[in-house]
Amino acid sequence: MATYDNKIWLLKNIRDAFIATDDTGLCEIVMAGEDFSKVFQNKAIEEKKRIREGRLMQPGPSKGKDGMGDISEEEIGREIVTQFDPYPDMDDSEDDDPLCGSYVRYEDLGGYRPRSNTAQWLDKKEQALKKAAKIKVIKWEDSSLTADQLNEMFGKFEVKKPEKQKSLLAEQLQNCPNLPYRQYLEYAKFDGTAQLGLPTKSFKIFMTMLPEKHQTYPLVVCVIASAKIKDLIGFTCYKYSIEHPDISLESVHDYGLCIAEDDGEVDWAFPCLDANEPCSKFGFTCLGLVELKSKSAMAQPPSSIPEDGMSGAFHVFSKVTDSGQSHQNPSRHNTGGSSTSEAVLSALKALNEGGGDADTGRMQSHILATEAPQYKAYKVYLQRKVRSNTCVQLGVSLYRIEIEPLVTNKHAFWSRSKYFLHSIDSVAWCQILETRGNRTTFRIVYSPNANAVYNERNNAGNSTMYHQNPTFKLHDFECDHDMAKEIVEKVNTILDLRNSPCRREYKTAKEKKLQTRRSFHTKHLS
Amino acid sequence: MSGDGSGSGSAVALVTGGYDHTIKLWQAHSGVCLRTMQHPDSQVNGLEISPTGQMVAACGYQHIRMYDLASANPDPVVNFEGITKNVSRVGFQKNDQWMYTGGEDWTARIWDPRAAPQFRCTKIFQVQAPVNAVMLHPDQSQIMVGDQSGIIHMWDLSTDQNEQLIPEAEASIQDIAIDPEGKMMAAVNNKGNCYVWSLGGSAPHPVPLKHIVAHSKYALRCKFSLDSTMLVTTSGDCSAKVWRTSDWTLLRELRNDTQRWVWDAAFSIDSRYLFTGSSDSYARLWDVEKGTLEREYCGHQKAITALAFRDQAV
Repeated sequence: MATYDNKIWLLKNIRDAFIATDDTGLCEIVMAGEDFSKVFQNKAIEEKKRIREGRLMQPGPSKGKDGMGDISEEEIGREIVTQFDPYPDMDDSEDDDPLCGSYVRYEDLGGYRPRSNTAQWLDKKEQALKKAAKIKVIKWEDSSLTADQLNEMFGKFEVKKPEKQKSLLAEQLQNCPNLPYRQYLEYAKFDGTAQLGLPTKSFKIFMTMLPEKHQTYPLVVCVIASAKIKDLIGFTCYKYSIEHPDISLESVHDYGLCIAEDDGEVDWAFPCLDANEPCSKFGFTCLGLVELKSKSAMAQPPSSIPEDGMSGAFHVFSKVTDSGQSHQNPSRHNTGGSSTSEAVLSALKALNEGGGDADTGRMQSHILATEAPQYKAYKVYLQRKVRSNTCVQLGVSLYRIEIEPLVTNKHAFWSRSKYFLHSIDSVAWCQILETRGNRTTFRIVYSPNANAVYNERNNAGNSTMYHQNPTFKLHDFECDHDMAKEIVEKVNTILDLRNSPCRREYKTAKEKKLQTRRSFHTKHLS
Repeated sequence: MSGDGSGSGSAVALVTGGYDHTIKLWQAHSGVCLRTMQHPDSQVNGLEISPTGQMVAACGYQHIRMYDLASANPDPVVNFEGITKNVSRVGFQKNDQWMYTGGEDWTARIWDPRAAPQFRCTKIFQVQAPVNAVMLHPDQSQIMVGDQSGIIHMWDLSTDQNEQLIPEAEASIQDIAIDPEGKMMAAVNNKGNCYVWSLGGSAPHPVPLKHIVAHSKYALRCKFSLDSTMLVTTSGDCSAKVWRTSDWTLLRELRNDTQRWVWDAAFSIDSRYLFTGSSDSYARLWDVEKGTLEREYCGHQKAITALAFRDQAV
């Protein structure tokens, strides 16, 4: 910073900076004009000369005082300080261009420095100006034309009966009777390319539900960021049917979007993205459009992005976790913002959303949070692989989940099932799997040896166990939709409250799987 | 002109604009949006395609902007400034010599977009209420100015004299239409009433011809078909109604309960089809003869408040 004391350096630098970065064309004036740094420099030399001469002329009393009778000219010169002096250290280079090496960076020459907010703002301003320069502006001003000229301008025309003309539109309509994309028309408004000023998001979509020959290239779609996954599906159908009117597609509800590899291979380890979630939430840019029928035919693992499981109730809070971990996907370059800010934004949005609704939402989640730990028993059906479903009582409390068979027929030994008691800390996951008619299936994932595993791990005092996946088992239940929803919400609320190591482990594993998107096969899938 | 996007002689241009601050150009027969243009800081109150078909003028708050339909430029090429309030309507003289507007600053104005400032011809006509409608007579010498106080001023451009019509007291005039032959003038008001006069007869003044209770609510626009056989009125009652000009009976009610307010309408050149633009952000194409919905145009994020259509190869 010392150099900033140097007036001449500053003058020089300001001048150079102006010349280098000026785009008004005025720099020529500056270039042709006086260089004040040089002027100052010359003045400094003159001043020194003058003072030195002055001192030499009059023998000052100081001479005598010092007792240094013999003062060399050089010494006098060195001691003299004028108001025009440059920074002392730079005196050496005084003779030629004293202040070579201007510190201005020429960005055009490849130098890079981070843009400050002001610079960006100026850039924007400049672009707006450039844009404005292309627009011809006509201001209202009063006319200065004579009456004759005006009469000429506003002369009367003879009105002729317009001739009957052939409508080009009618002809074109006739030539274009079939519009296969019309059924998806309502999704056209999510087109991101037709928006100005709205945030958008692009995806590569592989039409994996079509015959192989149509799958070579992904369809690149750009939608507005607020579009939901189902809107993205609809818009994809819309766009595809415009480009390929000969291929007929099914209803939007028959399709789902799954995570896919860059080469279009769908990762079947994951269920379809939740159709009601906004697409901005997902970091994946490669997706595969799949037919839901074929999907449900395959055995589905109980996975989804963790926050999906916590439907609604902990919406605001779940965002906090998601900023922490779930969105560390490297392919997340198209979302137009960091996951944190997105999470914060959506949390804010959730808080601010339409007054009353948000309040009731918050109240509900609050009620849920306070009620959740209380014990409650539900009558549900436990699904089993080979035998028929059994009616059980599912008890959920803050500490455990118990599954007690409600035996209706004691003699039917095949319908008997075991009694299960799981400590809540061994329960890892709970989510709704699917809804068929009025029946909803939900799943509880647990680790049968959770306590043992974690104790062991704690004793070991390191994370060697971390990479070993504890064996997870699961129970599938069936009941009506409302009850299933309630149970899943309750269990998830409790799980979130406890946040047991078992659950964390499960979530970590799941996220890891989401990130690698392959080669991770948990044992419970089998 | 709308050739970009479909080379095969697709020259008809449907332009819509609305509350989402954009103007969209559509391929009319397919319903595909070809281009989106920016209309910053304001809704679009009115749209008009210039006589050459090259430009579309959009009027909004404090501005009239002209966009080049032939280029891909999303920004306007001409911007008319110096107005303090909303401009509600815009139109062109048929030889493209000047442009006329009406607005909420209680004036109707003539603009000259071409000449250098010293040759520029401008004219201003002051009324006592916000102007909702301006309509140029086909003989290009008179502009009908309808205002919110319910007065229709017939402004003679060469003499600057004007004559007034008050069809209904305390009902704001919403739109005025004159048929292409210059024989009929229609006006709709905010009570849903439509008034028709005959023009250019032996009498020097308009002669009241018909009063139609067209809508139960706010009427928004009226337009004659090119063959003068039909008049369409649009309204806040979710419908556009097409009236026969021969006996003023209802020919067709084009209703869609989801469309809410129908803000604007335009006939095809053969008077067979009608475009409407409405609050549900859709524009629609109707077959007037059959009364069927032929096409829908989806892409706007908010209500469509204005549309312009030109059914000619340019």
